[in-house]
Amino acid sequence: MEHEDANKDDAEKPVNASLALDGASLADVREVPASMDAFLAGIERRAWRMAEIHLGNRDDAMDAVQDAMLRLVRHYSAKPAGEWTPLFWGILRRRIVDLQRRRKVRSIVVGWIGGGRDDDGDELPQWEPADDAPDPSARLQDTQAYGDIVTAVRGLPRRQREAFTLRILEGLDVAETAAAMGCSDGSVKTHLSRAMHALRDQLEAWR
Amino acid sequence: MSQHDRSLERRARELYLRASRDVDPSTAGRLRAARRTALADPHPSVARRLLLPAGAFAVVALASLMIWQPQPRVAPADSTAAMSSRDAAPNDLPPDADIADPALYKDMQFYSWLAYNDAPSSSSRK
Repeated sequence: MEHEDANKDDAEKPVNASLALDGASLADVREVPASMDAFLAGIERRAWRMAEIHLGNRDDAMDAVQDAMLRLVRHYSAKPAGEWTPLFWGILRRRIVDLQRRRKVRSIVVGWIGGGRDDDGDELPQWEPADDAPDPSARLQDTQAYGDIVTAVRGLPRRQREAFTLRILEGLDVAETAAAMGCSDGSVKTHLSRAMHALRDQLEAWR
Repeated sequence: MSQHDRSLERRARELYLRASRDVDPSTAGRLRAARRTALADPHPSVARRLLLPAGAFAVVALASLMIWQPQPRVAPADSTAAMSSRDAAPNDLPPDADIADPALYKDMQFYSWLAYNDAPSSSSRK
């Protein structure tokens, strides 16, 4: 518990510091939108990247983002524009979790029915094949670095991954992250601290 | 907080934002289409909103109808008809004195004679 509390305390500091350091990048992200259209236009690509990190599949990521957009527009259009950001990320997070669960059930059912092998005894392709299409980030100078961070983040437990992506990558504050994750501020700090600890070890090469 | 943590966070965010900005045209087009679809139909139709409660109501009404079966109440005016229908049915028991027609008892001897004579004649016809 002591270790956890200590982590809670020091989890907050690096985030604030980095927010200050990276304020220019966040200025685009945190702009209050003039309309729902503008809000979605500004967030849709990041949302898709976020979903792709969590799901590891481009089409599933597209489905998740499309559904999150639809739900936000249908149910929360009347809310103040300032509240849309945590609402949207919360909806997207739940959608991602739904898809992950559905995928797990499907793979179990396929395993039961076919045993993962066809009549000739050859292994069937995975239900959710790995996305081998050329990654758009191949055009980036730091393709390898982005691949490293995505791989490392995907290796985290779900709640730690959510805390890291929302708090560090997306730059939400603790309260917004807690609202999107459906947990307390303290839990966000704990999950984030553990995520940072794990990533620090995995991304040693970045030192 | 170490310098390493700071640089890790900054680097990760930079890469994430850049990767988001440089999404391929095909995906960007699909995202735009998804946004347009979401904005085009902001509210579920009234019919769809009413469909669920209406369906639930119909199911409850049907279930109530199947469970509730009213007891048949015979009106006094119908008692004669009921009696006559009962009399029409073949019955070996003598008619109930309370509900039978008094004229029936008046001619009882004739009916018993008829029944007595009818049985041998019908058998002799065969």
